[in-house]
Amino acid sequence: MTLELSRLRKAYSRFDFGPVDLTVDDEVLAVLGPSGSGKTTLLSLIAGITGPDSGSILLGERELVGSPLEDRHVGMVFQEGALFPHMTARENIEYAATADERADELATLLELAGVLDRKPPTLSGGERQRVALARTLVTDPDVLLLDEPLSSLDAPIRKRLRDELHGLFESLDIPILYVTHDQRTAMALGDRIAIVRDGDLEQVGSPSTVLTRPTSRFVARFTGTENLFRGTVIDRTADGATVRLGDLRLQTTASDVSTSTVTVCIHPSRVAIEAPYTAGGDRTATTVTGTVVRWLNEGSEYRIDIETESGSITLTANVRPPTFERLALENDSEVQLRIPRESIHLIPERE
Amino acid sequence: MGTFGFDWLSVALVLGGVLLLYYVVPMVSLFLSVPTGEILGRMTDPTVVDSARTSLLSASISTVVATLFGLPLAYWLARTDGAVTKVVLAVVVLPLVLPPTVGGIVLLTVFGPGSPLGEAAIAAGIELTRSLVGVVLAQTFVASPFVVVTAKAAFQSVDRTLEYASRSLGKSRWTTARHVTLPLAGPGILAGVTLAFARAIGEFGATMMLAYYPRTMPVQIWVAFIELGLDNAYPVAILLVLIAATALVVLNTVASNPWE
Repeated sequence: MTLELSRLRKAYSRFDFGPVDLTVDDEVLAVLGPSGSGKTTLLSLIAGITGPDSGSILLGERELVGSPLEDRHVGMVFQEGALFPHMTARENIEYAATADERADELATLLELAGVLDRKPPTLSGGERQRVALARTLVTDPDVLLLDEPLSSLDAPIRKRLRDELHGLFESLDIPILYVTHDQRTAMALGDRIAIVRDGDLEQVGSPSTVLTRPTSRFVARFTGTENLFRGTVIDRTADGATVRLGDLRLQTTASDVSTSTVTVCIHPSRVAIEAPYTAGGDRTATTVTGTVVRWLNEGSEYRIDIETESGSITLTANVRPPTFERLALENDSEVQLRIPRESIHLIPERE
Repeated sequence: MGTFGFDWLSVALVLGGVLLLYYVVPMVSLFLSVPTGEILGRMTDPTVVDSARTSLLSASISTVVATLFGLPLAYWLARTDGAVTKVVLAVVVLPLVLPPTVGGIVLLTVFGPGSPLGEAAIAAGIELTRSLVGVVLAQTFVASPFVVVTAKAAFQSVDRTLEYASRSLGKSRWTTARHVTLPLAGPGILAGVTLAFARAIGEFGATMMLAYYPRTMPVQIWVAFIELGLDNAYPVAILLVLIAATALVVLNTVASNPWE
């Protein structure tokens, strides 16, 4: 079934949502954005908790706008689970269930057997979310909405439940909207990602597109691209544009840039660090020489700031610990950076 | 200053202690003022039994009426905000701050024998004053705000998200109210109902104005005191104290005490 929002709009006293156009097929759409950007409003509108000022929400052939939330067949998993505190986990699920077999099946699937007779206040955050999920899925919804279900959980449990959700979502053939402010969760769970900013959809695309081809500085920053510089296009060929950045000249594969002022956008994970003056390597990559000015151990990777030779810009690179150790990097180390041409992304700037 | 300084903590304790004694001593004194045997003997007096029956019956009816009409209003107040809500709440609280005798006069202008409504009722064979109906009218007026105000707070304590969750599971508003909202607000509502009952059973001012007969316990105390002296007012007073104590027990056990 397809969920189709058109020109959906809702005005609040201090915030305007929309107009939003969005189509979600039987897929997982991760809705990513900072708090207060309108992610929850989007879900509330689809669920029917709030009514829009204008616009339509089509689910298959059915118009949802104007129909009360109990008639929508839209399942919603709330932030903290919203379990009924006076009912046990089992009673919560059975309250929603139309058929008991499905309740049992879901309890098994979500590994709830041990906690069914306990009341929500005695459940852990992860257990609560699993019960909430079972309670929603037992109604066999036509759409599944999840509002930051993992945000209140500790890191290890969050990661585990995220993996479980991934498997579960694949078995559901319905549109799923998953709201989160965590980029990693969005990348891991979303077939596509929608970036929300100030009540509007800033960009909708596959995780890799959003990550490497952001359409705005906002999206780039929000998805973890720290290397954002203002540059000038100095040459355009069929192979791509050449851009000037300080005293650097970078050859890119970007061929559809209309403006001459651009934001040069390079994700730190695409910047490779090599020992100085390594010969050979990827001929289509741009090489830049510079000095390490700062480095930070972030656990699974190192974050390294490199100042280019002339000192005009500072690039950030992420490297895995083995690379870091092999190169014996420290402050003032001279290094050579290799950036694949296709990883140098240009965002047009309004002049 | 420090050397001759007051021990403020001791002063505070003494002040509080005196106030507590001021509550407790008269209660104990009431029970000690008449021999137990004699009280038990007078409890079976027809006037005492009749007034107790009238009071319990009327207060029960008033409480049911107040709850029936008060809960929907309380829910609406709990789930709306804005200028209208504030005005409505002020109106609800009005009988609480109005002197009961004034409440009685206000009611007489609407339900009194001379009023159109009163006349119509008499024509239909129902007396709105000097009748059990009159007692219920007076008690409901002064006691129902307790249901509304307390139940409003109880409803507000129920997270709206839970109601949305229930409805998103395909349950109607009514099913949601019955299975989610009411059970969760239950102890708070029960507190309101208990307070309303306690207020209704003790109602004197408005009842005096509206329905001197049939006599409720507070009216009976007044009559006994005026006609026969203080001693004769004790038995009913003790009954009322016991009923009030029972209400306190309910508040502190099954209900959620709104003043805690």
